[in-house]
Amino acid sequence: MIPTTEWLEQLADAAIDQGLAEVTYAHVDTPIGRLLVAESDRGVCRVAFPEEGVDEVLQEIAQHLGPRVVRSDRATGRIRSLIEGYLLSTTKIIDYPVDLRLMRSPFRRGVLKELTKVTRGAVVTYGQLAARAGRPGAARATGTACALNPVPIVVPCHRVVPSAGGVGSYGGGPERKRLLLELEGALTP
Amino acid sequence: MNHSARVVSGTTSLPPFWRLVELHGDEILTYARRLVRDDAEDVAQEAFLRALRSYPRVTSGDHLRAWLFRIVTTAAFDHSHKRSRHGRMPAGETQTVVDDPFELERFNDLIGGLSVSAQAALRLRFIDDLGYDDIGKRLGCTSVAARQRVSTAVRALRKRLT
Repeated sequence: MIPTTEWLEQLADAAIDQGLAEVTYAHVDTPIGRLLVAESDRGVCRVAFPEEGVDEVLQEIAQHLGPRVVRSDRATGRIRSLIEGYLLSTTKIIDYPVDLRLMRSPFRRGVLKELTKVTRGAVVTYGQLAARAGRPGAARATGTACALNPVPIVVPCHRVVPSAGGVGSYGGGPERKRLLLELEGALTP
Repeated sequence: MNHSARVVSGTTSLPPFWRLVELHGDEILTYARRLVRDDAEDVAQEAFLRALRSYPRVTSGDHLRAWLFRIVTTAAFDHSHKRSRHGRMPAGETQTVVDDPFELERFNDLIGGLSVSAQAALRLRFIDDLGYDDIGKRLGCTSVAARQRVSTAVRALRKRLT
C-alpha cells in the first residue's frame, strides 16, 4: 500500500502543527538545477545543489539540528518561492531569516554574517571579506568559510571573488557562480 | 544508578525521520490495513506521529523498523478500543483468524496488560496466524528469537490467568 501524496502531506502538516518537526525541507526546480531547501524555526538552514546528494545533506541536518526532519512543500513554500523568483529574476532580494547553526566555527559564521552585507550586483575579494570579518590576511580561511557555506545563494558566497581576477571557485561549480553574477549584473555575459 | 549501562548518544546517529517514512510508510500502511481495514491511513498517521514524538529519545539507529511496527500495533489496539468504547465495531471484517470482532475484543482485553512486545508477538502469532519466519521479519529478529518471544509471551499470559 504505497503512501499517497495526500497522506504524506497530511502527516507532514500534522507533525508541523503539533510542533514535532525540527527541520522541514523540500525541493525547488530552478534555472540552475533542482535545489534542496531546508529550514528550522530560526530560518533557512540549508540550500543544497543536486550534486550534494539528498541523503548526505539530510543526515548532516539530522545529526546537528535534530533528527525530526520532515518533508513539507507547504512549510517551505515561502523560502522556496523566494529562491525560485530570485533565480528567475522576478525577485530582487531574498529577505528571509537565516539559521547558520550548521556552520559550527564562530570565525566562519562571522565571515558569512559579514557576507550578507554584500549586496546584489557588488562583489568583494576574499582578502577584503577577511578584513571585514576582523581577520585581515586570513583570505584562505575566508575562502574555506565560503566553500562550506550551508546556505549558498541566500548567503551570497558567489559574490566573493579572487583579487587576481576571474570568478574563482564555488561549491556549486564555477559555471553556476558565473551565472549568478551575470544574473545580478556584476558580470556581463 | 549505573551510568555505565546507559547508551551514550552521539555514537550512532539517527537517520532523518522522513527517511523512515519513505522507507517503511508503505509496509506500515499495509500492516495497519490488516489490523484496522478502512482506518489504516488514520492509524498509520497516528503511529508515525507517536514515533516522531519519541524519536529524539531513541538511543540507537538499529531496529527502527521493528520499533515502528510495535508503535503501529499499539496505535491499532488503541484505535479499536476507542471505537468499541463508543459502541461501534471495527469497520468491515478484519482479515484475521479471529474474524468475530467480539472475540478480537476479548483477545485484546486478555493481552492488554502485557508488555507491548509480548502483545505484538501474540497478535502476530494468534491473530495474524503468521509463521515464526514472518514474525521474525516483522519484529526485526530471527525466527528462533521470534519463537522465544511468543513462548515467553504465552508464559506471561498463562501466569496472569492463574
